[in-house]
Amino acid sequence: MIQSLRRNVSIYSAIASTAAKARLAYNMWVWADFFATIISMFIFVYFWRAVYAGETTLSGLTLAQTINYILLARLLAPLVETRTIYFFGYMIRQGQIAVELTRPLDMQLRVVVETFAELATFLVQRLPLFLLAWLIFGLQLPSNPAVWIAFFISLILGQAVLFLFDWMFACLAFYVTETWGLSVVRIGVGSFFSGALVPLVMMPGWLQNIAAAMPFAQAMSVPVSFLSGITSLADAPRLWTIQIIWLAALLILSRVIFSITVRKVTVQGG
Amino acid sequence: MSVIEVRELTKVFKIPKKEIGLTGAIKALFMPKYEQKTAVDRVNFQIDEGEVVGYIGVNGAGKSTTIKMLTGILVPTSGHARVLGRDPHKERVANAREIGVVFGQRTQLWWDLAFIESLNLVARIYQVPETRYKKLLDQFAEMLELKELFHVPIRNMSLGQKMRAELAATLIHEPRVVYLDEPTIGLDLIVKERIREFIKEQNQTKSTTVVLTTHDLGDIEELCKRVIIIDAGRLIYDGPIETIKQQFGKYREITFETIHSSERVTLPSGAETTHVEPRRLTVRFDRTLTTASQVAAALMNQIEVKDFSLSEPDLASIIKQIYNGALNREAA
Ligand SMILES: Nc1ncnc2c1ncn2[C@@H]1O[C@H](COP(=O)(O)OP(=O)(O)O)[C@@H](O)[C@H]1O
Ligand SMILES: [Mg+2]
Repeated sequence: MIQSLRRNVSIYSAIASTAAKARLAYNMWVWADFFATIISMFIFVYFWRAVYAGETTLSGLTLAQTINYILLARLLAPLVETRTIYFFGYMIRQGQIAVELTRPLDMQLRVVVETFAELATFLVQRLPLFLLAWLIFGLQLPSNPAVWIAFFISLILGQAVLFLFDWMFACLAFYVTETWGLSVVRIGVGSFFSGALVPLVMMPGWLQNIAAAMPFAQAMSVPVSFLSGITSLADAPRLWTIQIIWLAALLILSRVIFSITVRKVTVQGG
Repeated sequence: MSVIEVRELTKVFKIPKKEIGLTGAIKALFMPKYEQKTAVDRVNFQIDEGEVVGYIGVNGAGKSTTIKMLTGILVPTSGHARVLGRDPHKERVANAREIGVVFGQRTQLWWDLAFIESLNLVARIYQVPETRYKKLLDQFAEMLELKELFHVPIRNMSLGQKMRAELAATLIHEPRVVYLDEPTIGLDLIVKERIREFIKEQNQTKSTTVVLTTHDLGDIEELCKRVIIIDAGRLIYDGPIETIKQQFGKYREITFETIHSSERVTLPSGAETTHVEPRRLTVRFDRTLTTASQVAAALMNQIEVKDFSLSEPDLASIIKQIYNGALNREAA
């Protein structure tokens, strides 16, 4: 028991550090990404200033709050994109799944470890952008450490929820041949309903209901609302509970769906 | 001790049948029809520890499907397979720890990572002890000439480099059973030679059991004492390579390019034409009855020959001859 735990820690920590290194190998894209993000922040800031046009609050948010939220959402937006669909597509083209299944690993655990290692590396790489956002647009970050803790806990829970959802969604790649279309749909719907473009509280009630029924907000709107000061700390226990319920449900569902999918591969041959 | 045991192993693929036109498409959606394709058909064999067995057959014969059932990534439709005493599908992960697999055109290495990083990770995944890993790495680096590849990512490697890297990664945890599915396909002779040497060495020093799938008879001749031939999913021969060599070593073929067309030629006894085209003629002869020079001389006396070449029999012709009764099927 202890031994197998030790073995797993040794294996999956090596997988994590390798994934981080692989991510760093794409250094040349970092500058292009910085540039594109700053441009998009300019566009969003001017857009929201125009929308407010003299109003002091919209849906209970001041212009300053909205801009702070949107800047953070821009900085973290790539977190609601997904690599899982891409990875599944790659496995199915040319039957790479055969090779992946011959590794003595739990595939879901392996991919989740890789995904989180990449996300963490990505956040560290983006730190200078936070500084730029402060210099150029006056981004405000909280000084209370408890808010940061609330943010990180809800970010990790929310990202895990999103990962499990994407895992199920990516299983579709085994049934349709068009994985590019799948990721376009997923990223479009995900960006909108995660609150990466518009704060969810500004949406009409029925859209907010739809957003709440989808997992995307858990990974973006919930954590970013802590950090931007829209959500107060008092709400944390309630929000975490919701996230944990999502997590538990999707964990079971995603494993069931994946094992059905693997059965299809191993019984029908793909 | 028998390491691999296969009894009445069968795999039938169900392939959705496409129908023509819109009504066909709608019908296929609601009442899908399937075509059955028997890829492996009631195959039996048993492989002992330390054997190197050539598993051969033409394209589509069912070789890869068999290997996939032995690695546990395909479930047999009927019959059963046991590897090291386990059901490879039910105990896929436990089985995976003790085997190594190379699937010809695919890679288990990380596409974007320097090869050495990939290899370090593979060693970690299989929990190879640090000192053992260092030692094996040195050995492998020398035998497969890997030193200059360590910092190259897989995506930048040539086919031959990739296969050398792949073999090192497959054998770094010293698996007891290794499946090599067309490891030399598309490689040049020097690389093939190096890879064969390496496999031979691993087998001899560690009594690794090797199942080698190929349609290259060269691989087989150099590595295997025993071959299993399958065709259209059926086992048609299982026995020593010597028997095949004696039988088919008997025949050679010469192809002549001639200046003029001529269909009628007389040949020494033991030789016959097998293929006639305008200005090209293929002659097969029995080496126990005549020689290449006698055949060539006889032909050159009758027609003007521009060029000629001697060839070994290929797998397809051997299989054809097995069907024609040249060998006892499933001879022991
Ligand atoms: N996943 C699959 N679905 C349907 N048919 C398959 C599948 N895999 C292989 N086949 C068919 O099974 C037969 C054997 O294939 P394979 O084992 O790959 O042959 P080999 O490796 O000897 O070239 C072929 O006719 C092939 O088309
Ligand atoms: Mg094959």
